[in-house]
Parts: sequence; structure tokens; C-alpha cells
Amino acid sequence: MDLLAQGLVTGVLIGGLYALMSLGVSLSWGALKIINLAHFSFILLSAYLVYQLTVSFEVDPLLTMVVVLPLFFVVGSLMQIFFHIVNIDEFKSLIVTFGIFIILQSLMQTIWSADFRRIGSGLNSYESGSIFIGGIALPLPSMMAFIAALIIAIGMSLLLSRSYFGKAVRAVAQDEEMARAFGVDTNRVAVILSGLSAAFSALAGVFIAVGQTIFPGLAVSWFGVVFSVVILGGLGHTVGALTAGVIVGSAAGAAAVLWGPLAAPLVTFLILIAALLFRPQGLLTSRSVA
Amino acid sequence: MSSRARALLGFLVAGLLLAFIPELTEAIDLPRFYVIFLFTVFFWVAQASSWNVLTGYSGYFSFGQGAWYGIGVYTVAVLTGKHGWSFVTALPVAGLFALVAGLLLGVVVFRLRRLTGEIFALTTLAIAFVLASLARISPAIDGGTGTFMTGTPLPSFLGEFTTAMYRLTLVVMLLTVLASYLTHDSRLGWGLFSIRDDEPVAGGLGVPVFRYKMVALGINAFFAGLMGGVWALQLGFVTIDDVFNIRVPLFVILMTVLGGLGHWMGPVVGAVIIYTLSDRLNSAGLTDVNQIIIGSLLVVLALAVKEGLYVRLRDRWVTTLVTFVGVMAITTVFDITRSLISDFAISMVATVLMMLIPKGVWDRVRGRDRPDGGEGPPVGMETMAEAGK
Repeated sequence: MDLLAQGLVTGVLIGGLYALMSLGVSLSWGALKIINLAHFSFILLSAYLVYQLTVSFEVDPLLTMVVVLPLFFVVGSLMQIFFHIVNIDEFKSLIVTFGIFIILQSLMQTIWSADFRRIGSGLNSYESGSIFIGGIALPLPSMMAFIAALIIAIGMSLLLSRSYFGKAVRAVAQDEEMARAFGVDTNRVAVILSGLSAAFSALAGVFIAVGQTIFPGLAVSWFGVVFSVVILGGLGHTVGALTAGVIVGSAAGAAAVLWGPLAAPLVTFLILIAALLFRPQGLLTSRSVA
Repeated sequence: MSSRARALLGFLVAGLLLAFIPELTEAIDLPRFYVIFLFTVFFWVAQASSWNVLTGYSGYFSFGQGAWYGIGVYTVAVLTGKHGWSFVTALPVAGLFALVAGLLLGVVVFRLRRLTGEIFALTTLAIAFVLASLARISPAIDGGTGTFMTGTPLPSFLGEFTTAMYRLTLVVMLLTVLASYLTHDSRLGWGLFSIRDDEPVAGGLGVPVFRYKMVALGINAFFAGLMGGVWALQLGFVTIDDVFNIRVPLFVILMTVLGGLGHWMGPVVGAVIIYTLSDRLNSAGLTDVNQIIIGSLLVVLALAVKEGLYVRLRDRWVTTLVTFVGVMAITTVFDITRSLISDFAISMVATVLMMLIPKGVWDRVRGRDRPDGGEGPPVGMETMAEAGK
């Protein structure tokens, strides 16, 4: 029973990381109509950069955020400008970003090889840390990712529902041409949102570099989890993504305890298929983006 | 003779000519490698052509190629390796299992009212991962240990292993391309094109939308599984990571998008180009660069040559022929690369580069020699036009 409780708690915390990984994909799909497979390699690339910066300059891994997040904001913005120039649609975005995904994957494989990489425990004080509550361990890296996801999900939700920028994003998501006709600078909104999405993916990469071993094949293994969360949470819904992340994470955690670690991906993908078939509009949805 | 009869005759002649290449290479003392190269091309042509029937014709983008291929591989591996079936009896079962899996997916997915192309794409992506997890968990399928295929006996009339593989892949490839061709120029094909262009309107005009999509998915899954079954032999040692990885769907998408989504010749052209290129890059020791180049090709071609290379090759056929034969002659006569395949690859790249010249520039240089000033109808649409005549 304790084991199951531990599995569930770990799952919920990992759910925060899942949510963080999914936010970028969800926002760009929901608001910009771009299914951006490149986000998967953004997450991994950011993790590798964090690893490299930490190891080369022997700094605190969380400090690398100062470099990595702005960098990916710029990368994401440039990507949106490129998509705008070539005038991409939802369907073509799948093919083109798949190409970008492959390019980035092989670049990473070339630079860092297929070896397993991990920030040494001398540089990484967070890795082995845990907080204990009633005999249940809360591993520090997942805790941090969960808190970050919570802050970003609520923050983005407030930003999208309360600010002028948020109103503009929702207008673009609903009807881009109409939004433009009413004076919204749709290109600027899209570029900023794409930059933010990439930065969120990079943030997920930071926590992955802190918490686990990284290797090039990791990115492909995220497809199922991230798309489950994105679909279940509803396209472009940040709070929905967090909820869905927790659901998927705890289900996979419980499955791992009950049927062994191999069952976890199976459960994730079954949730994805169920979500696609029965709730393609998301779990808690009324508006298009929030 | 009708155009279909002519095409069927063409398939027969091509098949007969290709069938004796193993003997020919032996007679003129070419290395065995050429035969292996050719049957790998056949494998990809079949995979890409079967994918094209679903995605190219009906417009439903599928990442599921790896799933159908994997079912084929594992059916043959499990039946021959664990249950002592002969290869010849296991092979059709591989195709059938993939077909059944495809139809099961179709029954559920195509009945959904809210189904969009993106949802379909992601569902097919998930299917391959679910199958991989199942295979990993279940000891009856794999259990994570892998299966050896090297001892599988083949019927003796096929000859020794390489020749047998060549013949098997050739037959499956020809059947797949034939199915793709026959679908393209038939009522079914026109129905699928109309689904791609506007599904609600097609349904309203009396196209049996659900049935046609099921047939397209069935053709895709069956031939992918059948070729997968043959390929189990070539793999030798079947493991989950080798079978259910992103390679098969990736290459199939790439080849078809490059060659031309929606025309039956598109995937054939694309598969030959991409596989030759990737094989040459690998043998030149550029394995790392290989994927980068292929990824860039996907981005550039998806954006620049929207109608696919095949249509351009056909419309600029004089240039194609002159460039290809010219470069091929130069490289062979002066023996620049010492390998026929490299010569072929170089001529191909030269030809493709000629095709990359944008339409606008091309028309200006050559003058508009067509009354409508265009370069032919969009892929697939020509069949509709012919049907109207």
C-alpha cells in the first residue's frame, strides 16, 4: 500500500514535468495551429545545453536557465518568423517540423554521441535530494518541476484571460483574419507566443537535465506522454495541461507499481488513444484557449 | 490496347526483366552487394507505395506505417521461430494480421464524427508505440529478448538466400505498386481523391466515404505487413527497438512527399532517390550527416516542390532524360567513382537539382509552351480530368 502511495505521489510530481513538457506543444497547436514536433528536440537540446554548461563551467545547473531560456525564446521566435514566411498550414507543419526534429536529433547525436549523460553529483546538489512527508519521499527535481509547472500554468492562464496580450492570443486562436481586421498585430502575437512556447520546453529540459540521465533516444519516448497530455488537457489550455499531466503521471506511476515498469508506457498510450477517441476537445474545456 | 492493359503489360515485362538480375550480376561478375542494394530499394518502394494509397490518395496522414510493418515482421518471427511454421505459410498470415489490425483501427477511428486529420495522425503514431509496449511485455511475442531468424529455412526453388530475398521482395513490391496503380486509376481512386479534396462534399455526392477509407487503410496495412514479413528474414535478429522505431514511418513519409504524394509513381521515384542517396552517404562514412541531409530535404521539398518530384520529372522529361543519361555516361565512361551505384546516385542528384529550378524561372527561360501556361494538373487531379472525357 505504501508502495502504491509512493508510486502515486511520484506520478503526480512527474505529472508536473509532463505538463511543463507539453505546454509549448499545446500553446503552439492551440493558438498558432502549428503541430510543432521540433519541441521534443528543443526539450532535449536544452537538457544537453544545461548539461554542457554545468560541466564546462562548473556552475549550479539551475543557474544555466539565465542563458538557456532567453536563447530558446529567440529560437522559437525565429522559427515562427520562418513559418510565417513560408506560409505553413497545420498539415504541412507536421511534415516540416518533423524534418526539423530529425535534423536536431542527428545534430545532438553527432555532438554528444549516443552515450548516457548525467550531471555528476558533485555539481548537482538537487539530484539525490528528497523531502520526506509521512514516509513518502518527494524527490527534489520533480518537486521543482511541479512547482514551476504550477506557476507557469496559472500564470499563463491569468495572462491569457486577463491581459491585452492574452485577449489578442485568444482572438488569433479563434479567427486570425478577423483578429487582424480588428487591429491585432497577429504576427507579433504569434512570434511572442512561439518564443514563450519554446522557452517553456527549454525549462522542461532544465529539470530533465537536473533529474535524469539523458541520451538522444529520449526525445522519441516523450511523444506518447506529451500528446496524451496535450489532447487530454485540451489544445492551448495551460491549466488543463497541468491537470492532464497529473492524471497521466499518476496513472503511469500506479501502473508501474502494480504491473511493473514496462506497463507504464502502455498505460500512457492507452490514455492517449482514449483521449483522442472520446475527448478530442480536452477534459475541462469551454473556451478555445486559456 | 487500353492504357490499363498497356500498363499491366508494362508491369509484367518489368517484372520479368528484373527477375533475372541476380543471374545477370553473376554472369558479368558484379559484386553480390548490387543485388542486396536492389532488394532494399524494392522494400522501400513497397513500403512507400502502400503508405501512399492511404495518405496520398485519401489525405489521411498516417504515422502508422511502423505498426503495420512491425506486425508483419513479428508475425513471421513468432510463427516460424516459436511455433515452427514454415516461412511460406507464415508470410500470408503476416499480411492478414496487419490487415486485420488496420481494419480494427479503421472501424473505431473512421466512425468518429469529430475525426480530423491531425487526430488521425496522432492516433496512428500512438498505435505503433502501444504495439511496441505490448511486444515488450508479452513473452509470447518478444518479452524483450529478441528473436533469431537466421536459421529459417526457405523453399529451395527460390535459390540461395540473397537471390531468394531478391525474388520475394520483387514479387511483393510489384504487387504493391500494381495495387497502388490500379487504385489510382479506378472508381475507388477517384473516390479517395474526392475525400482528400473535400470529404463532406464527397459524402454528399454519394461517395461511400467510410468504405473507401477502410479499403485504403486495408491496402496500406496489408502490403506493409506482407513486406514486413519478408523483411524479418533480412533483419536476422528481430528486436523491438529495431522494428518499432521511427525509421520506417520517417523514410516512408520522406520518400513519398519527395516523389509526389498522390500519384502512384511518386513513392517509387522518391524511394529510389532517397534510398540510393542514404546508402551512398552511409558507405562514404557520412552516417551522421545522412540524417541531417535527409531532414533538410524533407523541409525544403515539402515547402519548395509541393507537387512532388515525379510531376516535375514528367513535365520536364527532356531535361530529365538528357541530364540523367548525360551525367551517367560521363561518370561511367571516365569511371569517376568505380561503382555503378555511385554513378547512378550522382546522375540522380544532378537531375533532381535541375528539377529544383522554380516554376516561374523555368517558364521564363523556356517560354510558355502550354496553352494554359501551367505545368500540368495537380497530382491526382489528372485522373479526374480523364474521367470527365
